[in-house]
Amino acid sequence: MDRVAGEAGDFTVTLLRKPRYVLEEKCTGCTTCVEYCPALCPDAFNQGLSQSKAIHIHYAQAIPLIAYIDDSCLYLKERKCRICEAVCKNRAIDFRQKPETLAVNVGAVILAPGFEPYDPRESGRYGYGRLANVVTSMDFERLMCATGPTEGEIRRPSDGRPPRRIAWVQCVGSRRVTPGENRYCSAVCCTYTQKQVILTKDHDPEAACTIFHNDVRSFGKDFERFCERAARLPDVRFIRSYVSIVGETAGSNVVVRYATASEGVREEEFDLVVLSVGMKPPAEAARLAERFGIALDPSGFCRVDPAHPLQTSRPGVFVSGAFAGPMDIPESVFAASGAGARCGELLSRRRGRLARERVFPPEKDVAAEEPRVGVFVCHCGANIGRVVDVPATVEYARGLPHVVYAQEQLFSCATNCAKEITAIAREKGLNRLVVAACSPRTLEPLFRDTLREAGLNPYFFEMANIREHCSWVHSLEKDAATRKARDIVRMSVARASRLEPLKEFTLPVHKAALVLGGGVAGMTCALSIAAQGHLVHLVERGEDLGGLARRLHTSLDGMDIPARVRDLAERVYANPRIRVYTRARVVSAEGYIGNFLTRIASDRGESEIRHGATVIATGADLYRPAEYRYGQDGRVLTLLELEEAIARGEERVLGAGRTVMIQCVGCRNAERTYCSRICCSAAVKNARRLKELNPAMDVCILYRDMMTYGFREEAYREAAERGVRFIRFEPERPPRVEAVAEGGASVLRVVVDDPVLGRTLAMDAGVLALAAAVVPAADAPEIAGLFKVALGPDGFFKEAHVKLRPVEFATDGVFLCGQAHYPKHLPETIKQAYGAAGRVAALLANDTVVASGAVCEVLERRCIGCGSCIAACTYGAIRISETKAGPKAAVNPVLCKGDGLCNAKCPTGAIVLKHFTDEELASQIDAAADAAASETLNRKAG
Amino acid sequence: MNQENGSALTETVRLLCRTPGGPRFGDVLVVGGGISGIQASLDLASAGFKVYLIDRGPAIGGRMAQLDKTFPTNDCSM
Amino acid sequence: MCSGRVDLAHVIRAFENGMDGVYLGGCRLNECNYITHGNYDALAMVLLARRILQHIGLHPERLRIEFMSSADGMLFAEGVNDFVRTVKALGPLGRAEGLAPGEVAARLAEVRKLVPWIKLAKRDKLAARLTDPAGREGHFTAEEVAALFREVPAYYIDPQKCQACRICAGRCPVEAIDGGKQRVHVIDQERCIKCGTCLAVCPERFQAVTCFVGVPPPPPPAEDRRTPVRRKKAAAAP
Repeated sequence: MDRVAGEAGDFTVTLLRKPRYVLEEKCTGCTTCVEYCPALCPDAFNQGLSQSKAIHIHYAQAIPLIAYIDDSCLYLKERKCRICEAVCKNRAIDFRQKPETLAVNVGAVILAPGFEPYDPRESGRYGYGRLANVVTSMDFERLMCATGPTEGEIRRPSDGRPPRRIAWVQCVGSRRVTPGENRYCSAVCCTYTQKQVILTKDHDPEAACTIFHNDVRSFGKDFERFCERAARLPDVRFIRSYVSIVGETAGSNVVVRYATASEGVREEEFDLVVLSVGMKPPAEAARLAERFGIALDPSGFCRVDPAHPLQTSRPGVFVSGAFAGPMDIPESVFAASGAGARCGELLSRRRGRLARERVFPPEKDVAAEEPRVGVFVCHCGANIGRVVDVPATVEYARGLPHVVYAQEQLFSCATNCAKEITAIAREKGLNRLVVAACSPRTLEPLFRDTLREAGLNPYFFEMANIREHCSWVHSLEKDAATRKARDIVRMSVARASRLEPLKEFTLPVHKAALVLGGGVAGMTCALSIAAQGHLVHLVERGEDLGGLARRLHTSLDGMDIPARVRDLAERVYANPRIRVYTRARVVSAEGYIGNFLTRIASDRGESEIRHGATVIATGADLYRPAEYRYGQDGRVLTLLELEEAIARGEERVLGAGRTVMIQCVGCRNAERTYCSRICCSAAVKNARRLKELNPAMDVCILYRDMMTYGFREEAYREAAERGVRFIRFEPERPPRVEAVAEGGASVLRVVVDDPVLGRTLAMDAGVLALAAAVVPAADAPEIAGLFKVALGPDGFFKEAHVKLRPVEFATDGVFLCGQAHYPKHLPETIKQAYGAAGRVAALLANDTVVASGAVCEVLERRCIGCGSCIAACTYGAIRISETKAGPKAAVNPVLCKGDGLCNAKCPTGAIVLKHFTDEELASQIDAAADAAASETLNRKAG
Repeated sequence: MNQENGSALTETVRLLCRTPGGPRFGDVLVVGGGISGIQASLDLASAGFKVYLIDRGPAIGGRMAQLDKTFPTNDCSM
Repeated sequence: MCSGRVDLAHVIRAFENGMDGVYLGGCRLNECNYITHGNYDALAMVLLARRILQHIGLHPERLRIEFMSSADGMLFAEGVNDFVRTVKALGPLGRAEGLAPGEVAARLAEVRKLVPWIKLAKRDKLAARLTDPAGREGHFTAEEVAALFREVPAYYIDPQKCQACRICAGRCPVEAIDGGKQRVHVIDQERCIKCGTCLAVCPERFQAVTCFVGVPPPPPPAEDRRTPVRRKKAAAAP
């Protein structure tokens, strides 16, 4: 990128396109040039742990999958060599390419340049780059990965031996005031470390894993359970200690020094040390800021206003992902959808003028043809090929009934291989395809499109999972794995031969949204959807808009919450595209994506609302503590009550000699296995405020792990510097609170065992504030039932995919944001609300949606009207109606979700789950049983 | 990559990687082809906007493509 | 497709194919991504199938269901390894139970034929959501399954009463009734799935279908004796 001119709605951006020296339209990604290239250079994608060539493909599944030549090329440096030019049959090498400047005209910009992993060399304290067996967590990702430098076998750099004793050092480059490191918490390292520990144990159950940490910050959804899972594994130790890397032994083992309360200072040897490095702003942050004229914050990330967390300081330029500060994948994903929504608000009038639809060739009718199956066996780089004998599997597949073609591929999912499949399907007249690769969960949709490209019905496709189900789990038994791969392929071919073409439904989309919940999440979402041109019905159960945020007054990041909430509510009421229903209750909800019909009883009376999308933003409740004398003693408050009392200037609070706060009240326990995420920051916020208002006050926070992630770490440090006392307690020994009569007065005494000092402290508190857990809203189960969406094990609404679909439900057309999803801070709620609005707009922008063809249907002749199927269907998709031939069931295919429970309950086989029929499944069961496959299959197929 | 993204991705890639040959006028420029940039592009494309996705590297995918698997489902990061 | 889509017939088919063990994996209970919780249906089906295996003299340990999430790779591996050890310790299907191969096949084939009837008879219990682990083992009892097999009904069309109206033949879901014009209808007991539709739809004024439980029904009339015995006009009038 070179220059940016213009303003929101009309930018001209000058781009500088670096030469690849490879013609995109000619390169086939064959990699012959890579083989012959003599110039070795470290492979950046593999963190420099392996060598690459000057001409190479970035990584095996790269998009676009074409080679490029980098600066280490001998010709570019010294005008020598040009071997690649000579070996490329397609003449795709072009050294004459020059940097190309092009100007594009756009209405809005989203900056998503990501982050840079912290480089431990910057501090020079960790031996990284000096000791061979000290690696960063990014290096370790590549060491674990099958496409990495060691093909997925974890080997340490010094001698290639599999390490047995591995230590992770947390907070490398984060939460430190030492020069060269960063003060903020990088927010993601605690969790990725748990993942690495679990995966390491998967690779080698004997591995001993030690994690040196300061707090285990398990503040995200499902994190706490995940950490517990890691902690329960054998030979996994969590040690709370700062460490120093002392040096290495003669055998290149790394010596680590640490200290614990019970054992004092110790030194221990490890085979490998993994530095859990944090996030830094992207390298080009300063340049981007300068070009776009946007402000950065002191740590070099993009500066955002907490109330407008997707907006840079320049109108029309939005930000998503970790450029706005450390964040995890789900937040990056919903921030991206949110930034998309913000652009949509700005440009709604231009929508649809420029995008083009993907066009597929017409579908061939192959009903009369015999099955002609093509089998493509994927190496998945080394993922499959290293274990399963792929050529032998291909050979075997060729001998199976109905198979007319079989071949191997390096990465079937790569663009060139998908094209190859299409071409061969046409050339060989294939009418069924089997791809033996990975799980259909990930790539089935991609391959279905491949069939469409070949003019075939997309349901004539079957994936044989020989990776997750075979090579990954049988890496040490290669012969047995190859036999199993044959079994799996045989089963898939059997099923593929019986597959039927299915029709997908096109449903009209009613261009209005229903948003449930009038808190900050619901209002933000409603405003954004309305700004993108759609009608919104906003439904609030309370008397007024605002939700839980109405009780908040200040925030760590300085947002004026009451003003923000007032502003949102005013804009909602003033917006002609938003209809607000207060004191509202959902009476009934029916319908499906694009066509919901919901009845609401509210101040407006009874209303019937048609809408194409539903957003659940119903928020959360607060736990009412039963512990620590709450409710029995007026001096015991919740943190929120404390905040309200401070805002009212209550003397009993502001004048207290000592305020004690107890964290994790009602969560991170056996009953609620999750962290409420926001309370540590709330405690710090209120402690800081109390110290401001009454510097003499003694403020103590009793905590287990301080979850002040991201930039909130700064406030935690500042509070400690201002004299707020942080005292940790162990979950097994929680604080005790008693009312003691002393000198004729009742004293509220808090007793806590301090594991650091190794003694018991007793303190008398004027005010005791409890960090009461955020709990799922009381009406969550009812709402979930009405809109047929799921709740997770903690009782919060369950998104479709933790990482990649964080604002959607598995039920199409229903979206999620705010604390209904999980406790979160307001800026996060706002981002997620925009994210949901972005997804809603992406749906409502279309006139139609497509529903799956793999749904149930009734063979009326066989139906006896017994009703077993109706009882089995949770979606109300089946009705019985009286016909001349008696009562018969019928399926409404748009309500059917294809779970097939009805099929398993039907005594006569009258109701059939298409794409998973008894015949198709039985063919797989039969094929599984037959080791001498071909003859049996011939018999059955004949 | 999840189901929807999987198929939509090819679509966007077609739209995005090949475009700057046609008229150089679009709706939105997305800077950065990591998970966040890709998601933003996909959403905007399905909402009917024309998107330019640019990345300083030779391919999209960003940091997430470098990860082995992701928490908590340990799905393949591709 | 959900684990609850796995049919009792699929399990029986696997054993008929000579499989020594069948292992079912479902999502963690109460963690359904949808609202269906079909894994409970799978659980109930497995509990019943295990009792049935036991009833026909096969080890119920040959069938197992376990629940896990996609992230529980270790749990899956442990579960499968343990199951394989269990099945290997049992030995090959039939031989370990002291049954001749033909006998195993015959018994399984008998069960396969009865699957529709079993689904009907145990419909409510198969749909039960067994949230309390304590209630699972006893949900279906050995005695109950023995009674289920003892009480298999057989439907019979009385040649004296049948008026060859073709209603039952038309409504039989599996076309097991030979319902020729002017011919007494006959149920093919081999094809019959014992759903009782014929009994339900036979016009009340004829009452030609009878349900026999515990005793075999009489043989059908010979081919040349299938002329309907016409009822008197007065009685037959609509």
